[in-house]
Parts: sequence; C-alpha cells; structure tokens
Amino acid sequence: MSAKDKLVFSASPHLKDKGTVSTAMRDVFIALMPVTAAAIYFFRWYAVFTIVVALTTAVLTELLFRKIMNRKPSLNDWSALVTGLFVALLFPATAAWWTVVIATFLAVGIAKELMGGLGWNLFNPALFGRVAVILLAPVLAYANGWLAPASVNLGPIDSITQATPLAMLHMGALDMMPSLGRLFTGFPAGAMSEVSPLLILIGAGYLFYRKHINWRIPAAILGTVLVLTAILGQNPVYHIATGGIMIGAFFMATDWVTSPFTARGKLIFGIGIGVLIVVFRLGLPPTEGVAFSILIMNAFVPLIERRTARPQFGYIKAVPVPMAETK
Amino acid sequence: MQVKQFIGGIHVPHYKSFSEHKAIKESSLPKEIIIPLVQHTGAPNEPLVKVGDRVKAGQMIGSTDKFVSAPVHASLSGTVTAIEPRLCFTGEMTQSIVITVDEQQEAPTWADVDPARVTKEEAVKLVREAGIVGMGGAAFPTSVKLSPPPDKKIDALLINGCECEPFLTCDHRLMLEKPGDILMGVKLLMKVLGVGKAYVCVEDNKADAIEALQKKNDDPAIMLMKLPTKYPQGSEKHLVKAVLDREIPSGGLPFDVGTLIQNVGTCIAVYEAVRYKKPLIERVVTVTGQNIRDPQNLLVKIGTPLSHLIAQCGGIVARPAKVVVGGPMTGKAQKTLDAPVVKGTTGVVVLPPELALEDMEYLDCVRCCKCVEHCPMLIYPNQISIFCEAGMVEEADAWNTMDCVECGICAYVCPSRRPIVRLVQRTKPLIQELRSKKK
Repeated sequence: MSAKDKLVFSASPHLKDKGTVSTAMRDVFIALMPVTAAAIYFFRWYAVFTIVVALTTAVLTELLFRKIMNRKPSLNDWSALVTGLFVALLFPATAAWWTVVIATFLAVGIAKELMGGLGWNLFNPALFGRVAVILLAPVLAYANGWLAPASVNLGPIDSITQATPLAMLHMGALDMMPSLGRLFTGFPAGAMSEVSPLLILIGAGYLFYRKHINWRIPAAILGTVLVLTAILGQNPVYHIATGGIMIGAFFMATDWVTSPFTARGKLIFGIGIGVLIVVFRLGLPPTEGVAFSILIMNAFVPLIERRTARPQFGYIKAVPVPMAETK
Repeated sequence: MQVKQFIGGIHVPHYKSFSEHKAIKESSLPKEIIIPLVQHTGAPNEPLVKVGDRVKAGQMIGSTDKFVSAPVHASLSGTVTAIEPRLCFTGEMTQSIVITVDEQQEAPTWADVDPARVTKEEAVKLVREAGIVGMGGAAFPTSVKLSPPPDKKIDALLINGCECEPFLTCDHRLMLEKPGDILMGVKLLMKVLGVGKAYVCVEDNKADAIEALQKKNDDPAIMLMKLPTKYPQGSEKHLVKAVLDREIPSGGLPFDVGTLIQNVGTCIAVYEAVRYKKPLIERVVTVTGQNIRDPQNLLVKIGTPLSHLIAQCGGIVARPAKVVVGGPMTGKAQKTLDAPVVKGTTGVVVLPPELALEDMEYLDCVRCCKCVEHCPMLIYPNQISIFCEAGMVEEADAWNTMDCVECGICAYVCPSRRPIVRLVQRTKPLIQELRSKKK
C-alpha cells in the first residue's frame, strides 16, 4: 500500500459537529453588534475610538503574553477580540483612552493569559479589567493629570453630561427619569453597553438561537432582581432596564468559562448575582454593582459545582423489582 | 404504548440513504478467509484443526470448555493454510485460522427441526454450538445471556432494532426482508427465558420496518415499540430506560433490572441455529459511506477480508479516506484493509476526505457544557477529560469515568475538539489498576 493510499486513522467518534470555539466566540462578537451599533449611533467617533483602542490593546496584549509565555498565538479563537469589545462596551464612550488601555491589558493579560489562557480563567476577564481600573482610581487620578494633554477631542455630543438613569434612580429623582419605553429601546447615558436593553436582548436571542447560552443564569438573575426589588418597594422594571443588568445577565454571567457547568449550579450562581446586585444597588453608590456581583460569584463557581453535581445514570433510583408476569 | 425518553443524547445526521433501499445481496467468494479464534467477549477458543486440514462450510474449527465463550466455524469449504496471529479490526494481532477457499463450493445441507419440539436446555446448547454472539457489535456470547443466574428473574425481553448509529442499515434491511424469521427468533427466546413479554424496539425513522414486523406479528405478547430517533437509543442502558423506565445500576447488567436485550440479527441467528442447526457463519454487513462507489448491504461469510468487500462495492472513490468498522460514532478506524469481518461487524463505513478526520490539535476545555448537556450517562465529560488528560486517575474515578459508555457524543459536540473518548479509553485501565491496588 503506497503512502498515497494510506488510510486516515483516529479514535472514535469519526463524525464531528461543526461548532468550534472560534465560531462560538465569533457568534458572541456578532451578538454584540446591535448594541455596538447603537453606541456608535449615540456617541459617534467617541465610541468608534474607544472600541478601536480596546480591540487593538486586546490583540497586542495577547500577542505579547503568548510570546513571553512561549505559547502559540491563539488570535484565531476570537477570544481576545471578544474580551476587547466587552471591555470597551463597559466604559462610557468618552472615557479616557488610557483607562481603556489599562483595563484591556489587565483583562487579556492578567485575567486570561496569566491564568492559563482561555478555559482556565476564574474571573470574567472583561469585568476583571473594568473593576480593576475602578480600584486603581487613585493611581489613575495621578495619570489623568499627567496624560490630560493626550486626551482626544472628537467633537461635541449632547449626551455626555447626562446623569445615568441609575444615578437618578439612586437619588430618588424619578421625575427626571426618561420614560420606560425610551429607557428600554435607547437612552444614551452611562456605559456603551447600557444604551439599549432591547438591542442586548436581540443579541442574546441570537446566542440562544445558536445554543451558546442557557436560560438558567439570565432567568435566575433577572428573576431575583425583579422579586427582591419589588419586595423592597422599588419599581422592579426600572431596575431591570437600567445599568449593566442586561449585558451582565445575558453576556457576562453566561460566560462559559466562568460560570458553573452544573444545571442547579447555574441557578444558584444566578440567584447569588441577583441578590448581590440588589444589595449593591440599594446600599452602595451606583457604580459597577453588576460587575462586582458577577466577579464575586465567579469566585464561588468551583464550590458551587462540587455541591451541585447531578446524580448520574444508574444512581438515581433503587433497582425496581421486576413486576409479576403480565399476560 | 407510552415510551419515556432518556435524558441527554443528540440528533446526529443519519447518512442512511446510501444503503437503506439496497436489498441484501450475497457477497462474492473471497479467495481466503481469516477466522479469528476470539470474535467475542470472553475466553479464546483452541483450534480444532491443523494446517493442511480440509474443512467444510459449517464445520466447528475452534472451541473451548470455558463458559463465557462461543466456538468458531469455517464459513466456507477449503484448506487450512495457516494458524497464526492476524490483524483484527481492533488493531490487535489475534490468533486466527486462515483458510484458502475452494473455488467450487458445495451448498451445505442443514437439518430442519420443528422449533416447538426443542426444549429450553437443547435450545441453549444449540445456540452455544452455533457460536452465536450479540450481532449488534458488542459480541457477547448469546448462550451465556440465555443462562442468567437463578436469582435473577427476567420478565421482559427487549429486541433491539434501533440501529441508532449513522450510516448502518443492516438491521433495517433484516427487519424489512426477514421480519418473520426475527419474530420466530423472538418467540424462541421468550420460550427459553420463560418471559411473557417481548418488546421489539425500532426508531421512528424506520417506519417501513415497523410496518413489516407488524404485518407478520400474530403474537399479542410481542409488542412493537416505536422509539424517538435519538442517538444512542440503541445503547442497552438507554433502551431499557426508554421502554421499561428501569435504570440499570452503575456497573450492573440488564438482568439486574429483570430484562435481557437481543439484537434483531441475533434473533435470526438463534432461529436458524435451533431450526436448521446452522452455525453463525455469515451475517449482513452494511458497506457504505460517501466515499465508496456502490454502497451495499451484503450477506458476508465470517472471515471475509475488508479489502474483498471494498473491492466488491466498487472501491474507494477519493483519498484521503477513512475506513471505519462499525458505526462512525463508536467504530474502529482501520490502518489497512486486511482485517476480516467477524461476528460483531455491523458495517464498513468509508468516509470521504472532508470527514476523514485525524486526531487533530485540540484546545483546553472552555466549559461550554455542551457535553454535559448531551451526555446520556449524566456524567461530566468536561471534568473527566481534564483529569484523564492530566493523568489524575483518582480524580477521574471520582467523576465516574468508569460509567462512560463511550458513545462519543461528548467528543462529537466539543467545540475545543477534545478527544474525550480516547482520553477515557486510555484512563479506564489505569482506574481499574488503582482500584485493585486499593483493595
């Protein structure tokens, strides 16, 4: 048998579903396009600029870390680009670009690559980067002064000075609040991902359709927030429609790597996030409560998984005694 | 009758159209046949012939006294030219009897007894002598299955006609072409086991097979069950769960829950063994795939080399190709076409270049849960793959690696293309070693 006639050999199975990590990550990127488009519509060149800065930083950071750690570059798995886009969308469009650079660098470099690469990270990289720059605020305050001449001015936009609906909610200034319909479809304030819950839902619908996310986590988060805020005498719908809850529930908390792989674990994880969000919203200043909530619950994932493993086949019931012979 | 679904499982493309409408055709005579002395799960046979001996079709040429075993027979008349290790479809070298086949074959003559007059004990003995094993692929000796321990009471017989593996159509064709023989076999098995109920289980993508069986069925104790088409519906554990809603305990066997499962092909073999005293010397093999010129369902003599079947079906169309013995989800890829058809060979699938996947580079687990969602054993293939990969045998055992039935769904859906089945197969012996050390 000549080399040309050699048969291909491998272990079973010999059929393979088409889905790969790259296509899944690309699908997440696609699912973020509606809200990205809305952000660009509202914030114009500021949004474009911030997104380009984050994507570029993400790619360069991954290349750098892979080089240092002597691992093969994995840009084609789209995960760096997805993290970059996530980080950008977590910022207001007019955020200082160096803050975005630092957040993206920490997200891709520390939270993902140093943890062992995609699959091994305990914390959601984008949220880790976003929250890190909040905690680094004193350092950044120094940098802000120093880097101020490097800031970019891309022309005036009307929305940048608006208070976020969440701040209004927190101050109890309900009369200032935009209508629920406007809030839901598109209201330009806060982070870029917060401009339109509707478009987040459309993106999430695509992820459901492509079977990349499961209903359990988003349902548990939204359900918990709705119920708790209602019990505490708040308007639950306003809470759902404002801030980072939508992107958090559908895109961040459902991150494959940093959420539990057990079905019951997903529910517990979601409920935990929901409770924490309400605590942050009602008890603390209205900044990145969703991000902190998800990151805190990320840390509990290994514990949750160990406690919620399902009974496997052959262990569920006692062996039934065969029935008497039936005629 | 209401059928419960098992949890997990997946819809895999069927690819059955290549051969499902091709009637069973007798294979041409090979020049040489190779009869491995072990074609079953159990003890190996000792050869009963020497090099140079003339053998006749149907003559027993290997046997043993061991209980868990099945003798082997010459499937064609000829001369024994060698008794030596030959390549088996598993990739291992197996002691085999090589027979150079006579060009002129006399049609063997079989007895014809009334099965109704055969006692239980005689029937089991005939099944043993005929060398019958499970023909769905697992090749467990049927005579052993028919002699359950006395403390295990069996009240339901399941006949497996699911054929849930993609591509394969040999059982489908048998149900269409020989429904009467299948039902005769079922009745015999019911009598031997003393059970009052039998369920013939067929996936609903084979409606014509159900109809054919229905037409021939005159016994109200034999129920025809239409099951949803879902892989791995034909797995013993999942079939019992779906039909009887009983769960075979971990490490247990079907008779632990009062049932026994036989493949439809085995039913015909049992019927022929009891009625005609005919040993298991031929079986239907589906030779199929996008990459074979003329897919067929062939009635093949045991021992026929794969190369003879491939040539008979017009050869391989395009290279690189992959030749799989068995179904594509659980079957074994071949490095050469030298291995022979054995009693458990259900099919030979020739996959085209685009499906001829090698073991390729794979990524770390991204915990997408697709394997968890579809695993019919309700274990966690993601964790298992990580621990097996790292050689962490104890942890792999703790996550129930031994319960894996190697159906292949996890590796099929894995977006990181992790070779989970391969990792599990590599680790299972290590777990057994570890367990025996602990004892």
